[in-house]
Amino acid sequence: MAVIEVKGLSKTFKVKLKDKGFKGSLKAMVKPKYKTVNAVRDISFTVDKGEIIAFIGPNGAGKSTTIKMMTSILFPDQGSIKILDFDPKKDRKKLSYEIGTVFGQKEQLWTHLTPYDNFKFFGAIYDIPEKAVEKKIDELKMLFELDEFINTPVRNLSLGQRIRCEIVASLIHNPKILFLDEPTIGLDPVVKENIRSLIKRMNKEYKTTIFLTSHDVGDIEKLCKRVIIINNGQIVLDDSMDNLKYHYLNKKIVEAKMKERVNLDDEDGITILKDKGYNLKIEVDTTKRSVADAIKLLNPDNIIDINISNIPLEDIISSIYQNKDQL
Amino acid sequence: MLTAVRNQCKVIFLSIKYALMRELLNKTTFISNIIFMILNNSSMIVQWIVLFSIKDNFGGYTLKHVILLIGISSSLYGFAHFFFEKSFKLSETINSGKLDAYIVQPKNILLSTITSDIQVSALGDLSFGLIAYFIYGFTIRGFILYSLFTITGGIILVCISVILHSLSFWFSNADAGADTFNGMMINVSTYPDSIFKGIVKWLLFTIIPVGIANYIPVKVMVSFNPYLLLINVGVCLLFILLAFTIFYRGLKRYSSTNLMVARV
Ligand SMILES: Nc1ncnc2c1ncn2[C@@H]1O[C@H](COP(=O)(O)OP(=O)(O)O)[C@@H](O)[C@H]1O
Ligand SMILES: [Mg+2]
Repeated sequence: MAVIEVKGLSKTFKVKLKDKGFKGSLKAMVKPKYKTVNAVRDISFTVDKGEIIAFIGPNGAGKSTTIKMMTSILFPDQGSIKILDFDPKKDRKKLSYEIGTVFGQKEQLWTHLTPYDNFKFFGAIYDIPEKAVEKKIDELKMLFELDEFINTPVRNLSLGQRIRCEIVASLIHNPKILFLDEPTIGLDPVVKENIRSLIKRMNKEYKTTIFLTSHDVGDIEKLCKRVIIINNGQIVLDDSMDNLKYHYLNKKIVEAKMKERVNLDDEDGITILKDKGYNLKIEVDTTKRSVADAIKLLNPDNIIDINISNIPLEDIISSIYQNKDQL
Repeated sequence: MLTAVRNQCKVIFLSIKYALMRELLNKTTFISNIIFMILNNSSMIVQWIVLFSIKDNFGGYTLKHVILLIGISSSLYGFAHFFFEKSFKLSETINSGKLDAYIVQPKNILLSTITSDIQVSALGDLSFGLIAYFIYGFTIRGFILYSLFTITGGIILVCISVILHSLSFWFSNADAGADTFNGMMINVSTYPDSIFKGIVKWLLFTIIPVGIANYIPVKVMVSFNPYLLLINVGVCLLFILLAFTIFYRGLKRYSSTNLMVARV
């Protein structure tokens, strides 16, 4: 059953152009020049109940703009949106009881209050009786492991703890759909991992549909069954995670600083990207060879420093463009 | 409908309570802010006492009338800035994309936004206004009228600010105009209306409704006049309607922002 239906959605922004310096400012005031930014261009997709969808793309791709239109914040220029049979434009209040929002770059909590008081405030915003809020807070406190800091003012919390609280605040009213805009932005890898597993647990526990944006490949690898990739305001791929994994995420980048040179020229499943004497950068095709195996080839005793990473999203997207016909 | 109103009020109440709690974290600053404002306003009265020692009547206003006028102006200013402080900074909220947080909540966007912060020194204005009223002379009926005019006048002030700041949905530098206009209204409102003549006076009772919000109350309280009272309340309702209409019209053009912001 589809809970989100987006058809032919478009949004443009008019941005004022300004030349440098005082003269430029004056000019802009007298005769403003505008530039049109096509933030979202004719996109369509549907999301089913209980799905975790990753909506990914590089910075400026149009992810936030799309989420903002789905949550009533922005009015679309063209196209239609249906969320749980509501039109975000017309049924803002009714829709807001059914959805939760977390914007990684915008905080909704009062910083001088404790998370507990903040949650009570959100309870009031959603007209939830006192008793029910307290029960819900208890439950979410367990699920998101907030015990340690639920009574510490928000301004004294770490970024990771804050994001956890932001997510809990957005769940107080039992939303059917949760919109998360870059929930892991600015977090260190360990905390990122923690947030991901909490989101996953929450989806299991409450069957909440999750629509998540990110520019981090790690987020989707760990969380999602389906991926929509957006670039320059257009959807370039809407596919299952398995498919994407098979085609694009089966490669890892290994960068190593070596004591001695090694020769990997004829090894199967390994492409040499850069070989500058003692600094080596290779791509490992994990369908042919495990990363562990590749490291063995390098000889662990021989490695001074090593870094293993995913292929950057930008590269995946450009390779999707190039291979579009083959998919 | 009634429960919706009650729930909205509960959120507003909580919001003000939490903002007050934040201000009370530093009690010395809190109290000195209030006391300083009372003293500041008192200096206005001293200035008039000096003037009245030269001449005992300014365009029909005696010293007592002027004290009442300053009291009402101060009270309605205090009421507006204590409960609706954010209506005087609405452009900033709009331009920095902070409306997002209120749009996703099932409450009235305008009300939640403008009640999301308080101005502590406004409590000083409110208290000063009350002191001025007691100096003028207390009666129960007079006090009820005084409270009513504080509320209607305060609301008119808030609505004008909302209307002007909402223009930033259309024009990027509307905030400067709004601040100038608001400041002008405050300055004018502590002088007797009779010193203004012709077109200025006409303006004060129409587009710049200082006449409605500040002068009419003095006239009604000095000698009761039901028509003037009705005009005051009616204009207040009209401004509420206008403020909501213009704000919601503008909201359709709201473009949020792609910058980072935090709630402080
Ligand atoms: N409020 C705004 N005003 C003007 N331009 C905007 C605004 N919001 C986004 N944009 C522009 O629209 C494009 C898409 O932005 P956004 O949706 O924030 O991208 P993402 O979230 O994928 O990083 C970008 O070019 C951005 O500069
Ligand atoms: Mg974004």
